[in-house]
Amino acid sequence: MTSAQDRLTQLFEGLGHNRREILTPEGVKLLVEPANYGERLTAFVIDLVLWLGASLVILLSGSLLINLIHNLLKLPNFDIVLVVSVLLFITFLVRIFYFLYFELSWQGATPGKRLVGLRVIDRRGGPLLPSAVVARNLTREVEIFLPLGILWSVGGHGQAALEQLSIAGWLLIFAALPLINKDHMRGGDLIAGTMVIALPRRVLLGDLVEKSARYAFTDSQLGAYGAFELQVLEELLRRPDLTQSPRLLREVCDKICRKIEWAPSPPQSDTVVFLKDFYTAERAYLERAQLFGRPRLDKHHHGQRPTAAERP
Amino acid sequence: MSLSPPEYPSVRPAAGEAKVAGPPEIVLRSSEFRRGREAGWRELEGMIERVEKRGVKVLSADELERLPVLYRSAVSSLSVARSIAIDRNLLLYLENLSLRAFLAVYGPRINLSEGLGEFLRSGFPAAVRQARWHFLVALITLLVGVIAGFMLTVADESWFSAFVPAGLAGGRGPTSTRADLLDKEIFRPWPGWAESFGLLSNFLFAHNTLVGILTFGLGLAAGVPTLLLLVYQGLMLGAFLALHYDRGLAIDFLGWVSIHGVSELTAIILCGAGGLVIADKLLFAGRLSRLDSLAIHGRFAAQIAIGAMMLFFVAAILEGGFRQLVQSTLLRFVIGGATAAFWLGYFLRRPREAQR
Repeated sequence: MTSAQDRLTQLFEGLGHNRREILTPEGVKLLVEPANYGERLTAFVIDLVLWLGASLVILLSGSLLINLIHNLLKLPNFDIVLVVSVLLFITFLVRIFYFLYFELSWQGATPGKRLVGLRVIDRRGGPLLPSAVVARNLTREVEIFLPLGILWSVGGHGQAALEQLSIAGWLLIFAALPLINKDHMRGGDLIAGTMVIALPRRVLLGDLVEKSARYAFTDSQLGAYGAFELQVLEELLRRPDLTQSPRLLREVCDKICRKIEWAPSPPQSDTVVFLKDFYTAERAYLERAQLFGRPRLDKHHHGQRPTAAERP
Repeated sequence: MSLSPPEYPSVRPAAGEAKVAGPPEIVLRSSEFRRGREAGWRELEGMIERVEKRGVKVLSADELERLPVLYRSAVSSLSVARSIAIDRNLLLYLENLSLRAFLAVYGPRINLSEGLGEFLRSGFPAAVRQARWHFLVALITLLVGVIAGFMLTVADESWFSAFVPAGLAGGRGPTSTRADLLDKEIFRPWPGWAESFGLLSNFLFAHNTLVGILTFGLGLAAGVPTLLLLVYQGLMLGAFLALHYDRGLAIDFLGWVSIHGVSELTAIILCGAGGLVIADKLLFAGRLSRLDSLAIHGRFAAQIAIGAMMLFFVAAILEGGFRQLVQSTLLRFVIGGATAAFWLGYFLRRPREAQR
């Protein structure tokens, strides 16, 4: 069943995420999808922009305030180097508190992560501890910002190329880390025992099952398909109305009629009714079969008893 | 299966929907199951949506009480649905709902100031105490470096330039005279607020943290580079010590170093200890996989390294700002000793509940 779902996800949503199981404290396995590299990068860039914006606002208002005090008290001029280093320190504080604050109070999501639909979770399914959040965020300093800062200051002083090269290598290794492990974890995730997952919001749509049916099908007709085909049909019936959907549904209807030897095929106006009735009957049939321990995964699945590998 | 909500309602709740007379009604177990439980799912979904937007605090006391109940019933719905339903939309929805509810129920419960306060009060010292053997190994490694650097440089001062790169030597070396070292280094006049706090502290902090981070991070490479870096830091210190010893300045030099060196060396050793913890847990993962072992112990190794950054910060403030402000060797020893006593007390003090 899970494999059928995965095949469908690939079919309808493109090559998505590989899935991973976590075990909740209640002992239920939940499937999570590790966020991929692009999503994480997007979220990070959004956070970066927000952080820069916040820092800029704080710096501008701060310098205006200082200027005001300065003029009022008629102090001597400040050393520009001192001002710059204090400002850099303030941006550092803003960044640290930005990430820590949001990941702690927004349930493991910074604004960037929320916009992209990502969450930080404990990799083993436990609660997300504050120490893990602190660890993974301060490790980001070590991974990216500190080397960047040093690279910048070293470049300013025109120092050894070897030092610059080793720092660039350090940055490269940590940037590539999410690409080379299955769960797309960065260094901070490895150390804190966390992972970032994609958590799109799913909506519960109405049940497609009809209350009463105009068309009735025999068991041998219903036995032509399995869960995979049924879910494809479900997806088609749930699709929003597009200009090509009547034609598409008609094609599917004709195909089904040919496969189950249904003649004559229902009139054009009855296409959707026929498909919904067929869906209802097929689902009732397959769910009954599943309940009796004979799940039928797709139309190629013939075994009466599922082998251990096929059992959902 | 333990199902408390009605799985097979004898009276259909939404009776109004089934008014089509004629052919026999179709009853699907999965549809019945869904009808009986959908209200609970919707209620949970609404709660989670609010929690995701504004945190757990938006829930009233009643809702807080209901949240775990609804969460457990959603999880049990998921288990049932996995075995009886083929409705893909329903399955995906329940997977998603259970996961989001799980995250809302088991999300972080502590805010920023509490988290940082806890880290400073108990997390950091406890992590350091836990890694005391690694700390000891790092300390001994550093001392070996100091002794070796001292012995070699005392015997032949040309070793000094081999150990200390020109950028850090700052003009000091075998050619320096006693007067040079006294005036330009140990008792150099204080350069003023801006220079010392703004520029020097910043530079020192950046340099020190880089060294510390390398010492820690290279623990991933089985810890060998960590030990090498520790020895190297020791060699440099030993070489400096020998240079001053030869000119009869050993005591003045130690006082000059102690004012910030206590914090700085502690921080370096802590970084080394953190790196060694990582190396240890990677190499000897025991029954766990290496990745799991790292996840469990990496968290406290990272706490040590992060705390060490704090020590570096203190050291940089002391070194850049106060070292040249205090112009007496005795007073410097007093300050150095006071910081040593402070850190010792900080790391050894256990939280109240751990005391007898």
